[in-house]
Amino acid sequence: MADFGVTTRPRPKRVDELIDGELMAKLDQVDVMSRKIFAGKLQGERRSKKRGVSVEFADYRHYAHGDDLRFVDWNVYARLDKLFLKMFLEEEDLSLLIAVDTSASMDWGNPGKFVFAQQLAMALGYIGLCNQNRVTLYAFGGEGVKPLPNLRGRRRTQEMGAWLLDLAPGGESGFNDAMRLIALGRQGKGVMIILSDFMFKEGYDKGLRYLAGGGYDTFCLQILSPEEIDPAKHGLAGDLKLTDIEDEDSAEITVSAALLKRYKENLNAYCGKLRDYCVRRGIMHITIDTATDLATLLLDYLRKRGLLR
Amino acid sequence: MNWLTVPTGLILAAAVIPLLILLYFLKLRRRTQPIASTLLWKRSVEDLRANAPFQRLRKNILLLLQLIALVLLALAVMQPQLQAGRRTGGKTVIVIDNSASMTATDGADGGTRLEEAKRRAANRIEALYGRGLFSQTAGETMVIAFSDRAEVCSPFTDSRPQLLAAIQRIEPTHGRSRIAEALTLARAYTTNVDPDSDRPVGDPATLELFSDGQIQDLDDQVLKGETLLYYPVGTPESDNVALTAISIERPYDRPTAVEVFVALANFNPEPVTLDVQLSVNGTAQAIEELTLGAAEPDEATGLLIPSRQNIIFTPFEQPRGAVIEVANLRRDDLAADNAARLVVPPPRRLRVGLVASTNFLVRTVLEGVGAIESLELLTARQFERLAADGAVDQYDVVVLDGYAPPEGSMPPARYLTIGAIPPLEGLNEYGRGEAQLVLDLKDEHPLFRFVNLEQLFIQRFNLIQPADDVVVLAEGSGGPVIVSVARGPMQAICVTFDPLDSNWPFQRGFVTFLVNAIEYLGHAGEAISATSFAPAEALTARLPAGATDLELRIPDGSAEGRIIRPVPLDPTMFSWGPIRVSGVYELSWSAGGDGRETRVFAVNSLSEAEGKIRPVERILAREENVLVAGAGGNQYMPLWPWAVGLCLAVMMLEWWVYHRKAYI
Repeated sequence: MADFGVTTRPRPKRVDELIDGELMAKLDQVDVMSRKIFAGKLQGERRSKKRGVSVEFADYRHYAHGDDLRFVDWNVYARLDKLFLKMFLEEEDLSLLIAVDTSASMDWGNPGKFVFAQQLAMALGYIGLCNQNRVTLYAFGGEGVKPLPNLRGRRRTQEMGAWLLDLAPGGESGFNDAMRLIALGRQGKGVMIILSDFMFKEGYDKGLRYLAGGGYDTFCLQILSPEEIDPAKHGLAGDLKLTDIEDEDSAEITVSAALLKRYKENLNAYCGKLRDYCVRRGIMHITIDTATDLATLLLDYLRKRGLLR
Repeated sequence: MNWLTVPTGLILAAAVIPLLILLYFLKLRRRTQPIASTLLWKRSVEDLRANAPFQRLRKNILLLLQLIALVLLALAVMQPQLQAGRRTGGKTVIVIDNSASMTATDGADGGTRLEEAKRRAANRIEALYGRGLFSQTAGETMVIAFSDRAEVCSPFTDSRPQLLAAIQRIEPTHGRSRIAEALTLARAYTTNVDPDSDRPVGDPATLELFSDGQIQDLDDQVLKGETLLYYPVGTPESDNVALTAISIERPYDRPTAVEVFVALANFNPEPVTLDVQLSVNGTAQAIEELTLGAAEPDEATGLLIPSRQNIIFTPFEQPRGAVIEVANLRRDDLAADNAARLVVPPPRRLRVGLVASTNFLVRTVLEGVGAIESLELLTARQFERLAADGAVDQYDVVVLDGYAPPEGSMPPARYLTIGAIPPLEGLNEYGRGEAQLVLDLKDEHPLFRFVNLEQLFIQRFNLIQPADDVVVLAEGSGGPVIVSVARGPMQAICVTFDPLDSNWPFQRGFVTFLVNAIEYLGHAGEAISATSFAPAEALTARLPAGATDLELRIPDGSAEGRIIRPVPLDPTMFSWGPIRVSGVYELSWSAGGDGRETRVFAVNSLSEAEGKIRPVERILAREENVLVAGAGGNQYMPLWPWAVGLCLAVMMLEWWVYHRKAYI
C-alpha cells in the first residue's frame, strides 16, 4: 500500500530495452493504415491522390506548353491528331505523427504509463520507418512541445530510440497548447497518434478540436495503469490525502465501497465521454491498460481497431 | 428516580466529552498518497457528498453517536435507580413468616403470601447488594424463617446468591406465628459482647419482617434500640372460614359408635353459609349445611371478633379404626384450616378393678359404662395380694374408692383414687379441710370434657401439699381438688374428696368425669384426642420389636404424598419432626413377615389465631422503633445496566456507521 501506483520498474536506458529484436521482427510485417490516402512529400510506397509518375494510369489531359513530351500519348495523337498527355497515380509516402504525453501524471502506475508510452511510440515509429513513412515524433509536457521531425527509413531507428530515451516525464501536459502548436506546425496531412492518459484538468476538447480540424487521421490511445482502472484491487484503502503528482493538488478521502464504486462510475463516464467526443470528430479512441502485452496490443488489438494492418 | 453517584458521573462527562469534541476539531491525520491525477477522485467525493441525504447530520453522525455513548456511560456511572428501598450500612436480619396464615392465596400475582414475602425479600436483597460496581457495601444480612419455631436459613453473610438461595428454600408450614424465638436467634447472632467491658459492641441489627402481621407474641418482643421494619403482605379483603376445633369420641354407652364435634369460626365481616363434610377413610359420610354470622368488630380494640359455631354430627357406627376428616367445602383464601382429621383407634374394652368400694355410687356408674368389658370388685386384701404378686397390671384401670393402700403396695398401674389419698410421693397429705368450691380448672384436659365443676360444693376433703411434679387439675378454695401423678409407668388421678361429701353425685358431670377418667387412664394416653398432632410438634410412636424398613408418607399437596424413610435412633421408638404441614401422615414398617403394618397420624392446624388472616397494616403502632415499609417501597430498579447496554448498542451502531462509510 505504501507504494501504491508508484512506478517501480526502472526506465529503459537502451533502445533494445524499448523494443526487442523479436518484436521488431514481427513488426516488419505490419504497416500503419490510414483510412484516407494522403499527399506526401516524397514518393513512397502508397497511392496518393496526387497524380504523378508511376505505372498506374489515372487520366488524360490536353497537352500544354512545356509538358514533358515523354508522357504524350502518341497513339491518341495518331488517331485524333491532338496531343494528350497521359497521367499516372503517383505513389507517395505516409506522414506518421506520434505525440507522446510526457507530463508527470504519465510517470505513475505499475507497469508505468510513461515507459509504456515510450515503448508503444517506439514500436509504432519503427513500423512507420520500416514502411518508408515519414515519421515525426512530438513530446508534450512540462518542457513544452519537443519535436523529432521527418525520420524516414529503418536506419533512423536508433536516432528515434535515442530521442525517446532522452525524454523525461515532468510538469503539466499543456495538452491544448501542445495540440495547437502541433496542428499549426504541421504541413500536409497524415496519421497522428496521441499517446496520453488524457487526464487533463483543463480538458481535452480544444486540443482535439485542433487535430480534428486539421484533417488528420487521428488516433487517441488512452493509456491507463491497472491502479487507475481498479484501485481497490491494488490495495487502495484507509484515510488518505491524495496528492496529484502533476500539480500538487490534493484530495482527502476515506476509501469506502461507495467511494470506489463512484470512482469507477466516474472513470467509465470520463472514458466514455472522451470516446464520444472522438467519434463525433472522426477520431479513433482506444483505451489501453499498461498491463497489456505490447506485442499482443500491436499485432492483435490495434490491427482489429484499424490502426495497423 | 435517585442518582447515587452524580459527582463521579459529572466528573467523567466533564473530562471525556470535551476531549472527544476536541479530537473532532483536530483534523484527521491522513496518509499522503501520490496519485496520477486527483481529477476523478475529487469528482467522486463531490458526487458522494451531493448524493448523501441529511448531509449535515451525516457529516457529524459519528460524533453524535460517540457523544450519546459517552453521555450514557456518564449516566450509568451516576447509578440511576427507580424506587430504591431503604439502605442500611450495618447488619440486617430478614425475618420471614412462614406460618399457616402465610399460605393464604391472596398474595400479589395470585400466589401465596409466603411467595410474595419471599419475592419482596429477594428484592430487598437485590436492593442491598445489587447496586453494581461502585456501590457501598451493605453489610451482612441474615435470613430467618419462623412459624412455631424459628429456623436460620442463612447466617450472616454478604453473599447475594447465598441469601437469595436461602430465601428461595423457605417452605410453607401450617404452624402458628411465634416470632420470639426468631428474634432471640437474631439477637444471639448479632450481639457481640466485648469481653473486656462485658458490653455489646456495635449497633444492633435492623430487623426486617416480612409477614401478614398476625403474630401472636409480638408484644414487647422488639427491644429498645432495635428497629423493626415491617413489610406487610396480603390483602385486607382476605376471606377465611376456619375449622378451629375437632373432637371425636365414642359414647360411653355405645363403644363401637363415633361422635364427631367440630367448631368453626367465620373471620369475614359478612355472614357465610357453607357445607361441612364428614368423611371416613376418604368416603363422604355426611354433609351439614351451616350458616355462620358475620365477624363483629370489638368496640374496645377495633379488632374483628370471629363468629363461632359448633357442629355435632349424628353418632354413627365405626367399630374399626378409621381416619375421620371434617372439611369445610367452601373455598377461601386459606386452605390449611379448611380440613381437620383425627385417627380413631378401634374401640378397646377395658378391664377395671374396683377396690374396697364402700358406696354404691361409683360402682353403679362404672357398671353402666359401655367401654368396660369387665368390672371386678376387689377387697382391700385381694388388692394387696395382687400387688404383692405383681398382678395388678392385669387391669387396665384400678379404682380405689375411699381406700388408701399401705405404703409401698401400689405397683405400677393406672389408678383412679377417690376420697382417700394414696401413699404416693409428692402428694403430702396433711389434714382435712371443710367447705370449698372449685376455683380453677384445666378444662382442656380430657378428664373434664363436658364436665362442669362450677356448681360443685365440697363439704369435707383431704388437704394435700402437692410436689412440683404433681399436676393440679382442679384447684379449690381450700386446696387441690383433683391432681394427676405420673411416676414412670404408674399413673394416678386422685380426687381428694369423697363424692358423698359433696353435691357432685347430683350433677351430670360426675358420671361424665368417671367415664372420662376410665377412658383416659384405660387408653393410657391413647385417647382419641391425643392421636392428633399439631404442626411444629414431633411425630412419635412406640414401635413393636423387630419393626424395620420404616416408611413415612407425608402430605405434600398431591394425592400420593411423599415417602421418606426415617432411620430411628431407637429401634423401639419412632420420632420424626418437626411437622411442617397438616394432613394425614402414614407410618408403615415391616413386621418381619411378608406384610407391613401401618399406623396413621393426623396433624391439624386448628389455631384460631392463624385463621385470622386479615393482614395487619401496622403492628405495635405505639412503638416508635417499628416502621412500616411502604407496600411497594422496596422495589429496586437499578438503571445503570440499561444505560451501559444502551451505550454498547450505540457503540455498535457507531461501528456499523463507520464501516458503512456513509460519510467520508
